[in-house]
Amino acid sequence: MDSSSPSPSSSSSMDRVNFRTQVLTRHLQNNQTPATDLLHTAPCLNYSPPELSEPAASFDTKSLRKLLDGQSIEDIDYIFNLMIQSKLFCPRERGGKVFIAPDFNQSMEQQREMTMRRIDYLREQGAFDGWFSKKGPEGDLWRFALAESVSVYDHSLGIKLGVHFFLWGGAIRFMGTKRHHDKWFKPTETYEVKGCFAMTELGHGSNVRGIETVTRYDASTGEFIINTPCESAQKYWIGGAANHATHTVVFSQLEINGVNQGVHAFIAQIRDGNGNICPNIRIADCGHKIGLNGVDNGRIWFDNLRIPRENLLNSVADVSPDGQYLSAIKDPDQRFAAFLAPLTSGRVTIAASAMNTTKVGLAIAIRYSLSRRAFSIRPNEPEVLLLDYPSHQRRLLPLLAKTYALSFASNYLKMMYVKRTPESIKTVHVVSSALKAVLTWHCMRTLQECREACGGQGLKTENHVGHLKSEYDVQLTFEGDNNVLMQQISKALLAEFLAAKKRNKPIKGLGLEHLNKPAPIIPTHLTSSTLRTTQFQTDIFCIRERDLLHRFVTEVSQYQAQGESKEHTFTVTYQTAEDLGRAFSDRLVLQTYLDVEATIPAGPLKSVLSLMRSMYTTIVLDEDASFLRYGYLSTDNAAVVRKEVLKLCSELRPHALSLVSSFGIPDAFLAPIAFNWVDANAWSSV
Amino acid sequence: MAPTNQVLIKESSNVRTIILNRPKQLNALSLEMISRLSEVFHLYEEDPNVKLIIMKGEGRAFCAGGDVSAVVNDINKGSWKLGANFFSKEFALNYFLATYTKPQVSLLRGIVMGGGAGVSIHGRFRVVTDNTVFAMPETALGLFPDVGASYYLSRLHGFFGEYVGLTGARLDGAEMLACGLATHFVPLEKLSLLEDALCKANSGDPKIISNIINKFSNKNPKLKEKSQYFRLKTIDRCFSRRTVEEIISALEKEADKNMDDWISWTIQSLKKASPTSLKISLRSIREGRLQGVGQCLTREYRMVCTVMRGEFSRDFFEGCRALLLDKDKNPKWKPSKLELVSNDMVDRYFAALDDKDWEDLKLPARSNLPSYAISKL
Repeated sequence: MDSSSPSPSSSSSMDRVNFRTQVLTRHLQNNQTPATDLLHTAPCLNYSPPELSEPAASFDTKSLRKLLDGQSIEDIDYIFNLMIQSKLFCPRERGGKVFIAPDFNQSMEQQREMTMRRIDYLREQGAFDGWFSKKGPEGDLWRFALAESVSVYDHSLGIKLGVHFFLWGGAIRFMGTKRHHDKWFKPTETYEVKGCFAMTELGHGSNVRGIETVTRYDASTGEFIINTPCESAQKYWIGGAANHATHTVVFSQLEINGVNQGVHAFIAQIRDGNGNICPNIRIADCGHKIGLNGVDNGRIWFDNLRIPRENLLNSVADVSPDGQYLSAIKDPDQRFAAFLAPLTSGRVTIAASAMNTTKVGLAIAIRYSLSRRAFSIRPNEPEVLLLDYPSHQRRLLPLLAKTYALSFASNYLKMMYVKRTPESIKTVHVVSSALKAVLTWHCMRTLQECREACGGQGLKTENHVGHLKSEYDVQLTFEGDNNVLMQQISKALLAEFLAAKKRNKPIKGLGLEHLNKPAPIIPTHLTSSTLRTTQFQTDIFCIRERDLLHRFVTEVSQYQAQGESKEHTFTVTYQTAEDLGRAFSDRLVLQTYLDVEATIPAGPLKSVLSLMRSMYTTIVLDEDASFLRYGYLSTDNAAVVRKEVLKLCSELRPHALSLVSSFGIPDAFLAPIAFNWVDANAWSSV
Repeated sequence: MAPTNQVLIKESSNVRTIILNRPKQLNALSLEMISRLSEVFHLYEEDPNVKLIIMKGEGRAFCAGGDVSAVVNDINKGSWKLGANFFSKEFALNYFLATYTKPQVSLLRGIVMGGGAGVSIHGRFRVVTDNTVFAMPETALGLFPDVGASYYLSRLHGFFGEYVGLTGARLDGAEMLACGLATHFVPLEKLSLLEDALCKANSGDPKIISNIINKFSNKNPKLKEKSQYFRLKTIDRCFSRRTVEEIISALEKEADKNMDDWISWTIQSLKKASPTSLKISLRSIREGRLQGVGQCLTREYRMVCTVMRGEFSRDFFEGCRALLLDKDKNPKWKPSKLELVSNDMVDRYFAALDDKDWEDLKLPARSNLPSYAISKL
């Protein structure tokens, strides 16, 4: 298929034959229409599945899925099986196929109850058995697979599950010690205890250290007393708190003998077994949201709530019965970091779920664009498939390639997390911050493009692409506002750089080793073939990171030389910091991509992977203003890049269907417009 | 190819009635029959004079399955590739029927098993009656539910498909209708009247055909008092488990609470079946649930070729010996226990065969499909 030409040459020959037959029939029936009348479209449109008209996959789609989902494929597919087979997941037949999706037309309260019933069902099937006992990297990967696969069905389900197991369960696992594990693991796994995680307050979100809830110790009774001293200290957005949770982890300042020891975590019961709110607790609803209404977010106030001393999660610090504060880590900054570090798992799942949602959106929009036509280019010719328009290719195909690149990066992060060591925690933190931000932004941008690419159909809730935007919007800000995260990355890079300089040693870690080598040289005149070499792609991403890091170092040191405080310096240098954050992320993504590519033997799969890699890098060069802003690309070279994007789109076009099929999202999780949308909308189906 | 008398054809204006005619062997499908069926189905699809196809069996069975003893004979005489050849023809036919553009009405009198289900269940109308007996008994034979069963079993309610596929449970007409394997139940005495009416109506319009069958149908055939269909909750609870071992232990837990004939039969049938067969069958059904019919048959073909080659397990040959040839009903499975069948071994059945002459199943090219066939892709 020659898809570089804008003519409808890629429509299947069968379509032409059909169309011709219909034209001839009308002719014989003496029912002609003027040949020049483009507005008069002729015979009824038939749905033709892309599988029949598109070229067969040039590579093994199963192998590509394996690169995406790796050893988790069976875990993921098992959960898909469980969901597809239960009426609780609202199966609906549309156009001869069964789709499952929550009924978003239900009230908020109904949606919340359905989320809980779906969790109960999965629990009854034994889906969570072994949550706390499965150990090692395999255990972590299994937990991730479970959380990710339920999110493909519904973000609320994933979040509700994630709050209970990753946040509540994770806090007990990582911040607690044996006495907490013995007491809480089992009832948590069986949902006798429903947990939530009370960290955010009305007045403090990303800045956890600023929270205002206060806990004091009463040595006479051996109890802690938790208080919400003011309205801005109310716990806010607490998932599970509004309806279902029986227990919570409370984050609070710990005040011992009048000295504030910083933020600590405690276990508190908030409801009894019958669901009644406990004394000294007040709970209110956060109300209806733009999405995620299947999660019961609530607000909590504590009024002199007394909890036993043992309820302090004491992995880092403890209070003795007589009220002495004990901690092995003296520096409160380090204590706080050590305390929160294990909770990175949240960002890992957010990043991975963002990729799954992106895959759902792209699979739907691309499948639709391979069956929906608009406008004839020549009279009496069939209308042109949406994806045969170069402009439509430009809208969707770069996002497709980017999704592969970012998915590989998400896997890299996952593996880095499951193999973490005390030494690597800092790296995990930086990489997870970077990828959480970049992947969730990509997800939202892709969904918006998919929604527009599907036209009016994108507005229908049943077609997902539009609706998912509101369901997933939250990911841009929870577990760290993306913009704040990007600035944090730059701070971390700066610290690494300065530390290496101080030690007078080469810089190591975070993929920054390229800074030790001389700066690469970018050719003055770029050509199509240069643009596709890994050498050039790596060089230009590295030079951008190197230059921006140097600029950032210079900028920061200038402010500090003027006597500005560190804090103030960072608030005013945010522009360079964000550019640097992106440069770091893009270079990291390219590096992980190259690592994946290197594991594949030469052949059709490797070719398509390298095509997508070139698409990924070229589109970054085309879209990120920093390349022109700081002069890594001349305007002439930027023009070459732009041309190359067009070329890459047409080369990727024949692979579009097989690339979205390789995502491995079962049909039931896609939407009616991804399949026979004519039948799905027929009068007979009304 | 010379017409065979193993498949008879009755013509009545635009209706063709295909009769499986090997009554002594309960119409077990021979290679000859499969070739003939492929030939006529291809022919009729192109022939504008054919609107409707009726399929039935001569004698007391519709079709008891593929003629596996012949396949085993062939393999023993020659190479496993003769067996592979049989299945490639059979599966290609299954695919063709699943994506057929004209309506097929199968009159399922008596036994419908294995390959018999493969030539009927994929079609548009499946009419069962008082004496219909359906089963996918392959796991007891060292094989697995094939002929696209991983597609249609996985689409039954809840985890009933896993139950039917793993235990080889027999379903009667009423149960088939209840679970969706059948579209209509017509009492035995009205079956020939229905056939006449369909020929007389001479229509290929699914709505008209459906109306005619409805006229003869019993909409609500009574499920027998002890029907397994009343056990759906237990079936879902147990057969939704992740592995065969977990399914059995869930069943045993149920048995501890409430032992009865059905549950002990279910456990027994799983314990008697080939462990390798059980494991590959479960995985096949689970994968099938997420795939189209073409992908299902392609995968099943890889599996069946691996079974025929007998490199990892020769259970199929042992099963055929014990149940079809020697009839001692005492197969000696190898590996003999579920825990001896590792995931790696199961993986082998789902991979392409490393044999230079071997190729994945070639599905016949399809175009202009009706929407109900498109949705199966």
